[in-house]
Amino acid sequence: MTREALREPTAYRAATTGSGPARIFTLVAALLATLPCAAQTAPKAAPNLQGVYQAIPASATLPGGRKNQGSPSAISLLPEAAKQAKAFDLKRDPWKLCQPVGQFRMMAADGVKLEIVQTKTSVTMLFEDLAHGQRHSIYLTRQHPAKLEPSWLGDAVGHWAREADGNKEGDTLVVDTIGFNDQTWLNSQGAQHSDALHLVERIHPVLSGQYLEYKMTAEDPKTLAKPYSYTRYFKKLDTEVEDDPCDYQ
Amino acid sequence: MPSRLIRALAVAAFALLPMSSALAQDAHPDWSGYYRVATARQLANTGFKQDYPGEQLNALVTPHLQPWAKARQEATDGIAEDPGQVCLPTGMFRYPVMAGIFAWLQEPGRILMVFSNINTAGVKRVYMDRDHPKHLLPTWNGDAVGKWAREADGNKESDTLIIDTLGFNDKSWLFGGMQPHTEEAHMIERIRQVKDGLLEFTITVEDRHALTSPYTYKRYFAKQASNEMPEEICNEDPDTWHEFRNAAIKRDREKAAKQAQQAQ
Repeated sequence: MTREALREPTAYRAATTGSGPARIFTLVAALLATLPCAAQTAPKAAPNLQGVYQAIPASATLPGGRKNQGSPSAISLLPEAAKQAKAFDLKRDPWKLCQPVGQFRMMAADGVKLEIVQTKTSVTMLFEDLAHGQRHSIYLTRQHPAKLEPSWLGDAVGHWAREADGNKEGDTLVVDTIGFNDQTWLNSQGAQHSDALHLVERIHPVLSGQYLEYKMTAEDPKTLAKPYSYTRYFKKLDTEVEDDPCDYQ
Repeated sequence: MPSRLIRALAVAAFALLPMSSALAQDAHPDWSGYYRVATARQLANTGFKQDYPGEQLNALVTPHLQPWAKARQEATDGIAEDPGQVCLPTGMFRYPVMAGIFAWLQEPGRILMVFSNINTAGVKRVYMDRDHPKHLLPTWNGDAVGKWAREADGNKESDTLIIDTLGFNDKSWLFGGMQPHTEEAHMIERIRQVKDGLLEFTITVEDRHALTSPYTYKRYFAKQASNEMPEEICNEDPDTWHEFRNAAIKRDREKAAKQAQQAQ
């Protein structure tokens, strides 16, 4: 089933295909679905991710055996990319130069603290670590443009999907990001990526919304031998975010 | 058939309930969108104009400096000592020109202004559900709290958002002309929507230790047609950044050594 089909209101389909009284009933329901207020309440199935979160330590295990898995340092590079990484001066690491480090590294960083701001049309991830210029603006109401100028942060679009969550289904925000330039690294060992880098993030609340389960997958046919995924859990905090700039002192 | 109609009407009434309660709870305007300083063309025929547009704002700020602040301003290197040159925040006082596009994100209890130049402008988080904490550690962007007020607007009343920000550190400038401020700096913004998609900010800055008197000016921000924020990366050229950063570190060490010498 396509995403467009998923979005089509069931009541609308029934109204256009039903007959008699049932058709009137479903038509009323379909009309209600088109009201602005209904549009606001319709996505109520989608969880509200808003809040401040921090990655749990590598040593922590949450109920259900949930724990962080994988790390950007474990990616497998194609031979040419591996050779290039070895030749790179690690002092040029964007992390050390107050440059954006890319979502792939940022979300895997130890104890990374982020804030999620959710509106009707977007989900934005902001980081306490301002130094790395990282901001993840995820647009919920459009697809990737046909033509994209390569950029540090890429172009991120998201949609909600019903996915398996243990033995039931849960709402997952699926984020697809492309359109990167080749300036960021995939890890601190100098692993480069190309402009073909494609990131997919799957985010959904677990344990009564007190944690986020976050799965990141990177694929890049020009530098990665195979797609790589890692998992992180983020604890929801009752705190405010402070800005941590690129201070040299 | 009638029973089905009643059932449909009942469903309709039930569906409308959450909307009416939501409206009752949140009667304030929602100005969410992406904004940038309004151009002269966007303000043409509106009756509004920018006070001291662009760099002209220096002409408003500088005459308010106390003598020590004026002396500090004159001794400052406008390029080498600009925090933005080493990707430090440029501070909230300069955002009306420096920040490019910002996203206005409105959520219950908070309003956020996320600047596209995130390294150097960061995020202004306006807390609508609390006062300033009693003990504030000084920060680049300070602590911002907001409240809505109904205020006279010609012969009608309109909603004004009043943002009060304090708790700044003393590292940023009041504007591009290197005007210093102290940790006593206090910023008050009164924001109203003067027409669809046009926000008027009346900005007042006071600092009893750096200014002889407060100054006030208006800045208009126009909502952009696109609901997108372009990326602006501070440090695309690491070599230049290194040069400035090393110079900044050297300067700070020399200043600290000089102060230590004077103290002896």
